Amino acid sequence: MRAFAVALAVYRKELVDALRDRRTLMMVLISAVLLGPMVLIALSGLLASFEAQAERREVVVAGIEHAPGLKNFLERQSYRVKAAPADYETKLRRSKLADAVVVLPERFEAELLAGEQPVVEVISDSGNRQSQASANRAAQLVNAYGRERGQLSLLMRGVSPELLQPLLVQERDLASTQTRAAQLTGMLPFFVLMAVLYGALNAALDSTAGERERASLEPLLMTPAARAALVLGKWGAVASLAMLIAVLSCMSFLPAQWLLRSDTLQAMFQFGLHEAWLFLAVLLPFAAALSAVLMAVAIRCKSFKEAQASSTLVVLGVSLLPLVTTFNQSGEAPWHLWLPALAQYTLMMRVLKGEGFGLEQVAVPLLVCVVLTAVCVAFVAKRLRGAAVR
Amino acid sequence: MIVIRALAKQFAAPRVGWRLRRTAEPVRAVSEVSFEAPDGQITGLLGPNGAGKTTTLRMLAGLITPDAGQMTVDGIDVIRQPREAQARMGVLSDSRGLYPRLTARENIVYYGALQGMARDAAAGRAEHLARMLDMTALLDRRTEGFSQGERMKTALARALVHDPANIVLDEPTNGLDVVATRALRETLRLLRTPEGGAKCIVFSTHIMQEVERLCDNVVVVSHGRTVANGSVAQLLRQTGQSDFEQAFVQLAFPGEVAA
Repeated sequence: MRAFAVALAVYRKELVDALRDRRTLMMVLISAVLLGPMVLIALSGLLASFEAQAERREVVVAGIEHAPGLKNFLERQSYRVKAAPADYETKLRRSKLADAVVVLPERFEAELLAGEQPVVEVISDSGNRQSQASANRAAQLVNAYGRERGQLSLLMRGVSPELLQPLLVQERDLASTQTRAAQLTGMLPFFVLMAVLYGALNAALDSTAGERERASLEPLLMTPAARAALVLGKWGAVASLAMLIAVLSCMSFLPAQWLLRSDTLQAMFQFGLHEAWLFLAVLLPFAAALSAVLMAVAIRCKSFKEAQASSTLVVLGVSLLPLVTTFNQSGEAPWHLWLPALAQYTLMMRVLKGEGFGLEQVAVPLLVCVVLTAVCVAFVAKRLRGAAVR
Repeated sequence: MIVIRALAKQFAAPRVGWRLRRTAEPVRAVSEVSFEAPDGQITGLLGPNGAGKTTTLRMLAGLITPDAGQMTVDGIDVIRQPREAQARMGVLSDSRGLYPRLTARENIVYYGALQGMARDAAAGRAEHLARMLDMTALLDRRTEGFSQGERMKTALARALVHDPANIVLDEPTNGLDVVATRALRETLRLLRTPEGGAKCIVFSTHIMQEVERLCDNVVVVSHGRTVANGSVAQLLRQTGQSDFEQAFVQLAFPGEVAA
C-alpha cells in the first residue's frame, strides 16, 4: 500500500515536471502531432491539382497547323488545343509547364495521306510529375486519332474494322477505394508512430539519464522509497505522456479530413472515430513498451546528451522497421506481427485499407509489448542503484 | 545514534580498453573506518581529499554495500534493514541535485511523499523548515535560478523533511560564502540542542575551522582508516600541538610531512 502511494507521488511529480517543460512539449506537438495532418492536406492539394488538370481537357500541341485533321478530332472530343510555347523543353525541365507537349512534324498531313507513318512525339519530363501524368493522356488521344483514321481507310476498302481487333480487353481493378487510398495514406501510420516516439523520448531520457546528470538520483535513492515503486512511477508518467501524444495525433486526423481539397481523396480516406479507436488500440500498448525501452537505454547513460546518442538506435528502429513492408512486396507475413513498430504499422495499414483486424491479430503485438515493458522496467529497477553513484 | 565498526570497501579498477581484462589493482577506498556518533552531539569526519569520507557516508546511506564491517542507526542494521535505517536518517549527500522545474516547496514536499508522509504533514514541515533555514521567500520559486546557498538550503530542507533523528551531511559548506556558512552552523547548533530535537549529527569536511568551531567530537580519517578520535582539546593534547591544523597534519600524515 505504501509502495503504491510512493509510486503515485513519483508519477505525479514526473508528470508535472514533464508538462512544465513547455518548449519541448511545443516542439513535440508541432513536429509530431501536426505534421501528419499537414502532410495529408498537402497531399490532397497535389491530388486536387491532378484532378483539375484532368478536368481541364486541354492538349498542348506544337505545330497543330500541320494537322487540321487531328485538330478537328481533338475538338470533336471536346478538347481545347493549346499551342506549345517556343521554349517548351526548358519549361518542362524546370517544371514550369505542367502538361506534356505533342510535337507534330511539318509534313504530318502529307505523310499521313501518303501512308508514310509520320512520327508524333509526346514530350514530358519524368522529373516533372504533372507533365508525366498528362503524357499518358496525350498519347492515348493521338492513338485514338490514328485508330479512327485506320478504321476509316479499312471501311472505304470494304473491310470490317473488327478484323483488326478480333478481341476486346477490359480491365477490372479489384482494389476497393480504400485499398487504393492506402497507397497514398500509407505514410500516416508512420507519422503516428513517430509522434508516439517523440512524445516518450524526452520524458524517458529526463527521468533517467537526466536525473543522473542533475545529480538528483543519489538523494532519491537515499530515501526509503522502494526502487520498484520509483521506477513504476517514472515509467507510468512517461507512458502517460506518450499515450497522450498518441491520442492527440490520432484525433488530429479527424478535423484534418474536413480540410481535404481533393474530392477523390476525401471519398477514399475514411478515418472516422471507429478508425481512431482501432489506431489507439494498437498504439497505447506500443507507447507503454516504447517508454520502458527508452528508459532502459537511457539509464545506462551518464548524461542527457549521451542518452540521446544511444536512443538513436531505438529511433532508427521505429522509423526503419515499417519499411520492411515496402521492400518486401510479398505482402503481410505472420512474423511481421512479432516485431514491435512493424506490427503496429501493419495493423494500422489494415485499418486504413478498410480491412480492420481481429482479436487474434492484436493479441500477438500486445503480448510482445507487455513482455518488453516488464523486462525493461525490471532492468531499470535493477540498474538504478548502480547508476546513482557517480 | 550512529555506530560504525571496521567498515571496508574496495572498488574494482575501471576496465581498460576493449575486451581487455582488468589489469589494474582494485582501489581500496575505505579499509577500516570506525566511529560512534552519539545523540545531541555534532561529530565531524575530518580528512584530506580522497580519504574515504564520501564513500563511508554513502555506505551509511545505503547506497553502496560495504565489503566488511557493521553500521547501525539507532540500533538498526543498515545492511540488513536498509529501508528502516534510511527512514531514520536525513542525508545531505555530495550530490544535491534539485528538480529545476519544480519550486523549492514542491521539491521538499516530494521528498516528504517518498518518506511516506501525508501531503499536509509534508507541507507543514516545509513551512517549518523554511522558517528555520530562513528561506520562506524562496519556497514558491522554481529552483532553476537558485544560487549555491539557496540550493544547499533547499537540499537540506529536503533531507530533513521527515524530521529524522540522525542527520548526515557530506561537505555541506562546499561552495558556500561566509554568511551562508555561518547560517548553516547556527542551524546545526540549534538541531543539536534539546529544543532542536537533540539530533545526532555527522558531517564530513576537510576544513579545520569548521571542525574547531562546531564539533563536539572529531574523527580523523586518512587513507581509508580512522586514525584519531576525540574532542578538539583531546586531539591537541594527544599530539602536543597548540595549533589544530598542525595537530591534524601530524595525525593524518604521520611521517609524510615534516612538521
